[in-house]
Amino acid sequence: MSKVVGIDLGTTNSLVAFVKDGAPVVIRDRSGDGLVPSVVNAGEDGTVYVGREAQRRLLTDPSHTVYSVKRFMGKGLDDVKGEASLLPFRVAGDAGGIVKIGLGSREFTPPEISAFILRELKHRAEAFFAAQGEVDNEVDRAVITVPAYFNDAQRTATRDAGKIAGLDVMRIINEPTAASLAYGLDKRHTGLIAVYDLGGGTFDISILRVEDGVFQVLSTGGDTHLGGDDIDLLLMHKVLAETGWSQSAERVQEIRKAVIQAKWDLSDREETTLNGKRFTRAEFEAMIRPIVDRTLEPCRQALKDAGLEAAQIDEVVLVGGSTRIPMVRRLVGELFGKTPHSELNPDEVVALGAAVQADILVTGNRDMLLLDVTPLSLGIETMGGVMSKIIMRNSTIPATGSEMFTTAADNQTAVDIHVLQGERELIADNRSLARFRLRGIPPMPAGLARVQVQFQIDANGILSVTARELRTDIEQTIEVKPSYGLTDDEVERMLLDSFEHAEADFAARLLIEERNEAESVIQATEKTMRAPEFADIAAKDLAAGEQQRIEAALADLKAVLGGDDREAIHEKTHALNDATKHLAEVAMNRSVQAALAGRNVKDV
Amino acid sequence: MTSPAPAIPRNADYFSFLGLPRKLMISGDDLEQRFRGLSRQYHPDYFYNAPPAERRMSLERSSYLNDAYRTLKNPMARLEYLLQLEGFAAKSPEEASKQVPPDLLEEVFSLNEELDEIRDMRAGGAEPAQIAARLEQARGPIDAKRAAHESQLEQLFARWDALLDRDAPPAERTPVLEALRARVLERNYISNLLAGIEKEMSA
Repeated sequence: MSKVVGIDLGTTNSLVAFVKDGAPVVIRDRSGDGLVPSVVNAGEDGTVYVGREAQRRLLTDPSHTVYSVKRFMGKGLDDVKGEASLLPFRVAGDAGGIVKIGLGSREFTPPEISAFILRELKHRAEAFFAAQGEVDNEVDRAVITVPAYFNDAQRTATRDAGKIAGLDVMRIINEPTAASLAYGLDKRHTGLIAVYDLGGGTFDISILRVEDGVFQVLSTGGDTHLGGDDIDLLLMHKVLAETGWSQSAERVQEIRKAVIQAKWDLSDREETTLNGKRFTRAEFEAMIRPIVDRTLEPCRQALKDAGLEAAQIDEVVLVGGSTRIPMVRRLVGELFGKTPHSELNPDEVVALGAAVQADILVTGNRDMLLLDVTPLSLGIETMGGVMSKIIMRNSTIPATGSEMFTTAADNQTAVDIHVLQGERELIADNRSLARFRLRGIPPMPAGLARVQVQFQIDANGILSVTARELRTDIEQTIEVKPSYGLTDDEVERMLLDSFEHAEADFAARLLIEERNEAESVIQATEKTMRAPEFADIAAKDLAAGEQQRIEAALADLKAVLGGDDREAIHEKTHALNDATKHLAEVAMNRSVQAALAGRNVKDV
Repeated sequence: MTSPAPAIPRNADYFSFLGLPRKLMISGDDLEQRFRGLSRQYHPDYFYNAPPAERRMSLERSSYLNDAYRTLKNPMARLEYLLQLEGFAAKSPEEASKQVPPDLLEEVFSLNEELDEIRDMRAGGAEPAQIAARLEQARGPIDAKRAAHESQLEQLFARWDALLDRDAPPAERTPVLEALRARVLERNYISNLLAGIEKEMSA
């Protein structure tokens, strides 16, 4: 039996998980790394790299490398023109049409880029199942998560990405809801939960009631363009203001890497260095305060929409890497008046929930049920450019709404309908989803036809439309022209294209896996050596020359890492592993002792 | 294994679908429990592997359930839905808001006068605080009317439910339904008025 998985397709990192013996687990590579950086490098020769390898190429080959593609999903060129300046890749496409990502001489739509990431996750899972000795290790079905505040176009783009990757997308579910499912597993309780999800590129807040195993979303809010990327950009601006703004694309990516490291450092420490200068947590907090503040108003609005006061919330759950920032925790804690939960890894909790949902779908297990809502009101354009709402935001999905149309002229056989999503009064302030032309209305005098248009939002939060002329009971044909999406034919063609490249990708994959393993050993080693207590370890626990041997092995591995010699990388990785064995033991013993002494060991 | 989800019966309404009588006073906890129970029966999650026809029915039924739950949860939406079922639907909202309900004539008349004066004050360059205080004062009678209105509605809800309990004949039901419809119109009108004042205050 082929396998089903849950996928968290993140702005910064993506993960894949599955349910094993009733419990969800993240699928890791051989070195234990569960995260696949959502970075794609597409060379001129057609070779595509995804994940850690693509992340490395961001520094050496930035013009063929794309990151944070999630921010472009379901967007038009006009939406994103303004933010192209510091990106290494080209932002292309036709005015008024879907945005495209230009990598060298090639252009890709955001769903195609996302499909590369999804295919990487699919391969990772298949390799894992094969290693487990599964007879049928094919992964052909998946639940994929999206930000709760994603609109119809963004959800559809995500589903298209799954199709292009050769996956049957069983369900699109919302990230905060998925997280609540993962949290609800071990404690089958009743209560009101707020899930605060600040990731790499998006922010969501969802308020849920959990009762009898039903996870019912009461309200949701957010901003699909607010996250860790915005913090990185602020810090990059700070550095560029110091160094001068005209820098090569490679240098910009080095700066980006450095600011991300500084950001991480300041989650554990009071100060670090950035661009050779002392950079304190207080300075950092003052800089990012406006970004964090922007998350608080949607929280208040979500509470109001749920008809609740902050004090009524029983538990607050934090999701997304940006919730590691102490100030975020503090401000969220203050808003809800209680200490937020963070027992589960905020990077992994969404993928775990997606795996649980995938399991529910294939097994039909009725112990748990997710009842989600549509984040934005759905409406149609009426006279005077005003939006008339048909399905209100925070309606439980699936949901329906209908509207009656008639004709304005005698023997008119078609009516144009413009569908939008958003909360504003004027259509210009809302998101255009699609334009429909209702055809086949039987000829009759003006105003006599009664065409009932039915809008259906399914459990994925995706819209479909049907129409019927009531006098004649004739079903209408509807041509859907998505405002910022792909047609079914385009998705089909992209899927076929991807098969042609599958073989060429295989050899590259083996090299990448080797490099990924090497990279994670390097990272682990460097992390240990950067830790504050390392000096103490080196003085007390390491043998004479041991530190030098580790440093030499580290340098050896780094020297071959960029090359294409898989064997050499393999060999040097093992050498580094051997050289650091003793150090790892010492560090681990210390962290165990620290844990026994009740200290915070998160980063020991 | 999945049990089949039958299509929505042709004569179904939101009340019967949730197994409730057409009463206006509904226990929130009871409604929530019924909603969760039926969601567990019909939700598309449980029909993923079912034949297409069953999947379609599951989608239809759970959509209908969600619409029913949303409508019946809110007392005013519930009332308007009941009036529509009983054939006492108010006219279209635009039409309804044009005509001042007779019981409100006096308040509306004096409010409009007040608002005119406030506009004059504003045009004359009066202090914002002064204008705000004046507006607050102007909405006093309307707020009072709304409070009175709430208690009238409560009584009518109780009367309607009592009529249902003893299966009263249509001749007794009609006046209660008409009174309820009048209250709906008034309430919508008051809401519009208050929205108008809010707008005036934020201008």
